[in-house]
Order: sequence, then structure tokens, then C-alpha cells
Amino acid sequence: MLSQDPSSQDPMKFEDPLSDFEPIAYESELHRALAEESVDTIESQPYVWIEPSATIRESIRALHNAKVSSLLVVSEGAIVGIFTERDVLEKVAEQYSRLAETAVSEVMTTNPTVIYETDPAATALAAIAVEGHRHVPVLGVDDSVHGIVSPRRAFHFVQQYDRA
Amino acid sequence: MSFREQLENEPTSSLPIREAVVVRSGTVVRAAIADMRTQRLGCAVIVDHSQVPLGIFTEQSVIALLVDEASLDERSIQDFADKNFVSVSTRDPISHVWDAIQTNGARFVCVTDEDGKLVGITGQRGVAEYLADCFAKQVTVQRLGSTPWMQEREGA
Repeated sequence: MLSQDPSSQDPMKFEDPLSDFEPIAYESELHRALAEESVDTIESQPYVWIEPSATIRESIRALHNAKVSSLLVVSEGAIVGIFTERDVLEKVAEQYSRLAETAVSEVMTTNPTVIYETDPAATALAAIAVEGHRHVPVLGVDDSVHGIVSPRRAFHFVQQYDRA
Repeated sequence: MSFREQLENEPTSSLPIREAVVVRSGTVVRAAIADMRTQRLGCAVIVDHSQVPLGIFTEQSVIALLVDEASLDERSIQDFADKNFVSVSTRDPISHVWDAIQTNGARFVCVTDEDGKLVGITGQRGVAEYLADCFAKQVTVQRLGSTPWMQEREGA
């Protein structure tokens, strides 16, 4: 038989273990927002996507027509890669006449760094500044594609929360 | 002090500034692309004989010329260069670079000395790195990769 401390049954003697908890004191609202707001508060749409079977010519036209610098490569609702202006520069441009009809899946960046809508907003900045990705796909917790965060969108978030 | 005020008080020289890919106006496209690829930089700056920037040839320029099916060996970069590029002095406040990015959509910004000579390149990447330094506690603890945090964690 278990014995029980009688005082634990008296609500008047209950001591809240969090009674001396002090919330984190942030230097500014922006510090707080980067740590506590989630990625889904950063604009991530619109975004442009293509199928992995699209040709490189079609993909480059999509970049040009949409005036974007990256395309998400999506198959059956899941991201399988990203095709960016940097891929064009490094893998395609000098051999364009030979590669134009090749599937974009041959030259896209596979397994890209992604962030999740529930990650802290600072994760987007880490992906851009620390890992050096100019465009970072945003996924839902079920791995569905939600959008893409660019430096401009991340900077816009900073502007929104920047208060002295 | 707000972050905006900080940007207005600090000079552009506080930003990470990369060495530019420098080309002359008659350079053929293929040579410029090869230089950009080798130096892993998304732009080449066209300068005059005094090293003053005249235009900027970017990855977007590369996309435009491929869409036009232009010859990389026959066309020169000034045909595709952006002549409305943004140039700031090392003494200008960082807010000038920030505004060029946010208002004009600039990805790259030329940085010059007081005589207008090219010093290097900054832009979205430079500002992002500066921002990450300013908010290092928030930025450096983040999970990064291609799988969610929960798949990488072990234990409780």
C-alpha cells in the first residue's frame, strides 16, 4: 500500500514548482519574434513549382516568365528538389544547347535544406545566412509543400517586428 | 535603438563584402559566365578603366540570354547587363543597401570607395550574414537540414 504525504492533499499547502519561473527577457521585440514566432509568420507565397520531368528549357522559361530565381521541383505533392539560377549558372549555361531538352531532375539540387512551418522564424535566417541558401523551401508538418522563403521575405519579417 | 536605427548608424563597411568578379564591357558572355562559375558568385561587375562600375551582369542576365537563345560566344555582356544597378560607398549607411534590396529588389549591390572605384560586392547574402551576427543567440541554435527536428532527435 502506498503512503501519501497528507500535505499533498491540502491545496492550501501546494507549492507551484513554476512559482519562481521567470520568462526569458528579450532585448527587443525583434529578438523575441525571431525566437518565438514560427516560420509560418514569414511570407512564403507565392512560389513556383515544376515536375521533375520538365525540361531544362521549360524550367528556365518558367524562371524568366515568373521573374523568380528558384523553382521547387515537386512530385506527387512532395518536394524532390530545387532548381535555382545558381544551378543554371553552374551546371547548365555553358552547355545549354546540349542540355536544353534534358529533364530538370538531372541538374536540380536534390535533398535541399528545408524548414518547417512550425520552426522558429530564426531558422529561416539560419538557413540563409549560415548555410548560404538564397531560397529555402517551407514544408508543413506533414511534409506538404507550403512555400519558399527568400532573403527579401525574411527581411520583411524583420521590418514588421522591428521596434525600439 | 531599433534595428532600423542601427542600420542607419553603421557604415556599409561593416557588412561582409566579397571580392567582385570584374570584367570589361567587351567581354563575351561565355568568359563572364566561366569567371562567375569559378568564383561561385552570382554576378560580374563591368568597370571602366578607372575601376568605376558601369553595369552588373547577373544570374538573371544569364537566364534572359538563354531564353533569347543568344550565342554565348558572340554576344558581349553589356547587351544583357543591368545598367540600373545600385552602388553605395563604404561610408554610406547599411540602410542604403537594405533599401536597395527591399525597395528595388536588388540582389547584389556594388560597394565603392570615396572615389567611386569598385571595392567589392555585397547584397542579400551580406545583409543576411550581418543580421545573423546581430541576432546570434536566436539564429545559431536552429535545426537545419532536410529532415525535421523530430526525426533527428534521440531520447526524450
